[in-house]
Amino acid sequence: MNKQVAIWIRVVFVASALVLRAGGFSGIAEDYARVTGPCQLRLPEDHGDHPRHRTEWWYYTGNVTAPDGRRFGYQFTIFRIRLAPPEKEASWPDPSSEWRTSQLFIGHAAVSDVNRKRHLQDQIMARGALGLAGVATAETGVTVFLKRWQAVIGHDRHRIRADSDIFSLDLNLEPVKAPVFHGEAGYSRKGSSPEQASCYYSLTRLRTDGVINVQGTPYTVEGLSWMDHEYSTAPLEPGITGWDWFSLQLSDNTELMFFILRREQGGAHPASSGTFVDPSGTAHHIAVEAMSAEIKDTWQSPGTQAVYPVAWNLDIPTKQLRLRVSANLEDQEMRTSQTSGVDYWEGSVSVTGTAGGRPVVGAGYVELTGYGKAFDAPM
Amino acid sequence: MVLGIALGAAVFTSVRLSIHASLDAFSRSMDLIAGHTDRSLIKPGGRLPETLVAELLRNPAVAGASPVLMAYVHMGGQRANPFLLIGFDPLLDRSFRNWRPAPGSPNDNKMWAELMREPFTLALGAQLAAKHRVTPGDTVILGHSRQQAPFRCVGILDAEGIGMVEGGRIGVTDIATFQEFTGNFGQVDRIDLRMAVGAGDGSDETLQAELPEGVVLARPEEERESGMQMIRAYQLNLSILSFVSLFVGMFLVYSLIALNAANRRSELAILHANGASARQLFLLFLLEGAMLGVGGWLLSVPVGSVIVRYMIQGVSETISTLFVRVHVDRLTLSGWEIALSFAVTLAISLAAAAQPAHAAMKISPKEVMAENPEIERTQSAAGRLGAMGLVAVALVFPLAAIPGPPGLPLPGYLATFLLFTGFSLLSPWCLQLMGRRLANPLRRIGGEPAFLAGRYLSTSGMRTAISVGALITASALFCALVVMIHSFRNTVELWAHQTVSGDVFVTPKMAAINQYRDPIPFDLMQAIQQLDAPADLLPYHRIYLRHRDVMFQFETVDLESFRKHGGFLWVKGEPESAAPAFNRGEGVLVSEVFANLTGLEMGNTFRTRIGEQALNLTVLGIVRDYRTRGGVVFYALAPFNAMFGNPEWGGVRLHLDRSVRDPDRALTALVSDLVALSDGRLDITSGRHLRRAILRIFDETFAVTSILLLIALAVAALGIASTLSVLVLEHRRQFNTMIAVGASRGQIRRLVFWEAMLMVTAGEGAGVLCGFVLSYLLIFVINAQSFGWTFQYRVDWGAVGLSVPLIIGAALFSALPATRLIFRIPPAVLLRER
Amino acid sequence: MPTPDSDPAILAQNLSRIYTMGETRVVGIAGIELEVTAGELVVLKGNSGSGKSTLLSLIAGLDRATAGTLYVAGYDMGSADGAELTRFRREVVGMVFQAFNLLPTLSVEENVCLPALLAGGNGRDIRKRALELLDWLDLEHRRQHVPAQLSGGEMQRTAIARALINDPAVILADEPTGNLDSRNGQIVMELLAELNRRWACTVIIATHSILADPFATRTICLKDGSIKS
Repeated sequence: MNKQVAIWIRVVFVASALVLRAGGFSGIAEDYARVTGPCQLRLPEDHGDHPRHRTEWWYYTGNVTAPDGRRFGYQFTIFRIRLAPPEKEASWPDPSSEWRTSQLFIGHAAVSDVNRKRHLQDQIMARGALGLAGVATAETGVTVFLKRWQAVIGHDRHRIRADSDIFSLDLNLEPVKAPVFHGEAGYSRKGSSPEQASCYYSLTRLRTDGVINVQGTPYTVEGLSWMDHEYSTAPLEPGITGWDWFSLQLSDNTELMFFILRREQGGAHPASSGTFVDPSGTAHHIAVEAMSAEIKDTWQSPGTQAVYPVAWNLDIPTKQLRLRVSANLEDQEMRTSQTSGVDYWEGSVSVTGTAGGRPVVGAGYVELTGYGKAFDAPM
Repeated sequence: MVLGIALGAAVFTSVRLSIHASLDAFSRSMDLIAGHTDRSLIKPGGRLPETLVAELLRNPAVAGASPVLMAYVHMGGQRANPFLLIGFDPLLDRSFRNWRPAPGSPNDNKMWAELMREPFTLALGAQLAAKHRVTPGDTVILGHSRQQAPFRCVGILDAEGIGMVEGGRIGVTDIATFQEFTGNFGQVDRIDLRMAVGAGDGSDETLQAELPEGVVLARPEEERESGMQMIRAYQLNLSILSFVSLFVGMFLVYSLIALNAANRRSELAILHANGASARQLFLLFLLEGAMLGVGGWLLSVPVGSVIVRYMIQGVSETISTLFVRVHVDRLTLSGWEIALSFAVTLAISLAAAAQPAHAAMKISPKEVMAENPEIERTQSAAGRLGAMGLVAVALVFPLAAIPGPPGLPLPGYLATFLLFTGFSLLSPWCLQLMGRRLANPLRRIGGEPAFLAGRYLSTSGMRTAISVGALITASALFCALVVMIHSFRNTVELWAHQTVSGDVFVTPKMAAINQYRDPIPFDLMQAIQQLDAPADLLPYHRIYLRHRDVMFQFETVDLESFRKHGGFLWVKGEPESAAPAFNRGEGVLVSEVFANLTGLEMGNTFRTRIGEQALNLTVLGIVRDYRTRGGVVFYALAPFNAMFGNPEWGGVRLHLDRSVRDPDRALTALVSDLVALSDGRLDITSGRHLRRAILRIFDETFAVTSILLLIALAVAALGIASTLSVLVLEHRRQFNTMIAVGASRGQIRRLVFWEAMLMVTAGEGAGVLCGFVLSYLLIFVINAQSFGWTFQYRVDWGAVGLSVPLIIGAALFSALPATRLIFRIPPAVLLRER
Repeated sequence: MPTPDSDPAILAQNLSRIYTMGETRVVGIAGIELEVTAGELVVLKGNSGSGKSTLLSLIAGLDRATAGTLYVAGYDMGSADGAELTRFRREVVGMVFQAFNLLPTLSVEENVCLPALLAGGNGRDIRKRALELLDWLDLEHRRQHVPAQLSGGEMQRTAIARALINDPAVILADEPTGNLDSRNGQIVMELLAELNRRWACTVIIATHSILADPFATRTICLKDGSIKS
């Protein structure tokens, strides 16, 4: 990898670290808008941005198949970070430049070419000014854009587009179920205090078609996607080393999301939780006590030496779910050079097991953060 | 003696290394600034709208776009040394340029975010920070023509990429801060592009078609090339000058080998008689030449390393003053330069050794027996060479008239080479003639020694001729350069008084270095207009443009007002006939440099684009101009303002009314009024000061040249000294005979002095003659071909005259070691049995 | 200081010339006792290295003795300074060399005139005297030629004319016939003898040749730097 690119990626990841661990270095930020209770989320308005909060992301993952049976996983995320609290704007020069903004947008996209065992990734960033990146709201919906990447969130369909030198995505997504508001009407606790929380909703089942281009070859694909939209100012509390996050879509038309906040001293933080979506689209909160996850296999990244779990046995007795989750590809690490430090694993997984005693299969995405020592790299 | 060659080689190498270092520093700086840029968008004569960036980023042919703003600004009172401040978007720029905080910087990974988040923050290059003792967290005051403002330093740049631009004398800031500081809202100087991998050949044209009017897609190397082209002419001229010292060193090798051969004549005869082949003798001396060359070259390394330290400073300062800013932070020892200097030194030594080696080969083995070495038979050879010399000299002018490629004075240098060759070939014949004709008159002046010296000279052969040739070369150069520099200086002085007329010059702060991109701030312009001063205001615009590879300045002028106070120096065309069309805006006046570099002639159409406007204008006249950063095109102010609706001033000259009673006092009052209203945002220079500065820069520029000249002269004097030694050694027997028949030591000494005198006079005389021809070539051919300008021919008789005793004194001084030689062996040797 | 004519033309007492070359000392001549009366024609004989030339160069004022005293025509050669020696060479001695040592750039006439011109005489008078000498030596037709155009005998006669131009009291000849054939050698010897006879010149000839013997008033043999009785 050439130095230039390495530095570039480093910047992107440092920025991602800002997102992934926002508030981590200073506790709870003072001047940003905060999430302290029910989010009163209203759609479609809340598809748009919440610029006074520190971080926000629009997050799409999916598993799709080409007519020839070739399988792909994809990830497409646009992060928004506010670099300084809103009060800061009062001290800006007058007149100020059009380039003057606190909003930073970062995009991550990856394609997991399961059959060929390739994981292609790219990251971009720009400031939220002068049409370089931002969120535009119109009658027809909300457009979250970053340079040429964009997610158009319409009333009944989404379109996501991303391109890089080695791959591109152009997918149409159609929600099959109503949005699911996690936690208490979207108020998703991420720590012990009320502020350590985010506003969080998902579209758990999006019928997907479109084109994935891998190194110059376009594939027409079909499958299912998952969309998350989350914003917060201080979601994590000190002592949490990272999280394991699962989004699974099962063949019985149900979906499962849960996240485990891993504590330094081991075990899951009590704020870890999940949501089960039944075929009708009704969400059921799952408390941490109600689930167990057992790691069945690990993979060590040759690049970063980090050891990631890549297979799990999940057991949620209250929902009669016994699932085996395994990575479709071991190396789905989103990484940078060894010097930079911030790496995470974001990958396509397959599911087998039983639901209510009946066999189910499924697919999904898992996000694993904090496994590399680098997560503690200075920011 | 090897020192002489070493000196020549050292000068040659260090001059080349110095220029090379400057070129390298410039090119590296330009490359670092360009980074991974494939294409740059610029708007000649203006700035680009910033909204173009997002549009470009949406274009699939574009992989990346980074807006750039640049200005030279000064830091806290250090007005003498502005540094380059780059404003960019740290995020968009990441894939273009390499820059990061120095290891250990407190902000390390957050620096870019800090720049973006905090208004009026900047990161500094390590050298700049060190020079001003700035550490992260410190606040510095930056000054620009719009304002002075405090900046907080948030980091030091690592010594790579942008951190090394201009040798680390650099600052970077967020584009928002840059715009807020300089007031250039909504605009960027340049947008650098990286083209998409798949973007094909036609993508340039496609992209260009989509661009707004006046926006040009340029290659990043174009600017570097234009800069390099300007330096290159200087490089070539300085290289050739430095080569002269090496070339004169060649005469030295020649003399040394000849001296050696003369010393060992009998030994050679014995060698020859004992079976050494002529070829072996030839090789023996050739090898000696090679060893001298190698020895000289080796010695030149320490000598050169001393010289280069001074040279590099001078050369880089000259290039910075005249052409483009360079900051030489290291000496790049390119293998090519080392090999070149070695090869040239060796080649020259071998070439110089060839003739004496050949002569040694011809030494007859009979000399072992014979007592009296034969005299060289040079009479007929001298005539033949003389005829060739005349032909060569006759060819000089026709050759010089051939037009060469611009910026490469090939015909000029060929003509110069022919001139030197011609005069060198003529020198044996001249010496012969002089010896014969002058011997008797000399007897009347200097007695018997003078007569004998004349006689010796006429028969002393090729060796003397070659030494005299060296002196001709050196003194011709001296004379020619004295004439050229004098003419140049005179013309520049005249130009400074006529064309750079004006009592006060007012420009935005650091206008020239920032290429007049920012006009005089509007409030200050109004304040100047409202000044109650007895002075004419002559506002002008200056726009930096490029005509193919040639940089030029498009300058507006109100010709009628201008002519009241000064005027152009016309090379072609006349003020009276050109004025009406000029004032109507139908044509332009172009500088001689611009005309020569572009080939534009009177009556041709000059085409350019300024912003959205395409201009097609007739060339109405060609005028002298001695700005070094390309040519100048003058256009009438009023039509320009009408065309562009641009009432702003790039700068303004003020001329005091002639009727003012006490001009000095009025000037002082005017300047202090201007200073008071300028608020530190204007540069106010008195005309007198500016003109003096022009001449000071001129003098500094030629300081290097003068040093080279003196070295060449010194080497030539060494050549004369060694030739005299050879002559003395050869004539030792005869001198001893003279002593035996009654000559006093004083007479012998006088004889040698007379010999030196005659050689020097011949060399100096022919040299001065040759020098006048050369000065013509330099002024009207080589300067025109290299830089595009010529000068009014003026001879500084004082300096030329001064050079005569100077050179003669040096040469006579150089005769001292030779006279010593005579008496080292007692005359009794005449009688000693062999 | 010149002294009255009655003194011997040459008076050498314990005359030595030792050459030091680094550590080694080479004896040129040692302990020479010699008195030559004005008008003598002395032939110096001896092998190569016997000291003939050394003695001659001391007498000619081209070299200085390392020990002993030498008076030539009243000049104390040991104490004379450079200027006196120059005057001595101009006024007292005339030299003839084996290798002729004519100046190749000068014509015959110019060569002959050279010593007188160097001495600063009147050009016209000198030229007149030179022509007389050349006429006497049968070289008149050769006076515009340069030495390279002359035969050996002509060159040596030119050299003799040159030696005579200042009307010297002493003529010193170093192997004058060494580079000449026997006929020319004979002519040169006869000329030197005639000088001795006609102008009462003191003539010292250093030679191997027997050609000089018939004219010698005295023959001195040198061996290893000393006079062999």
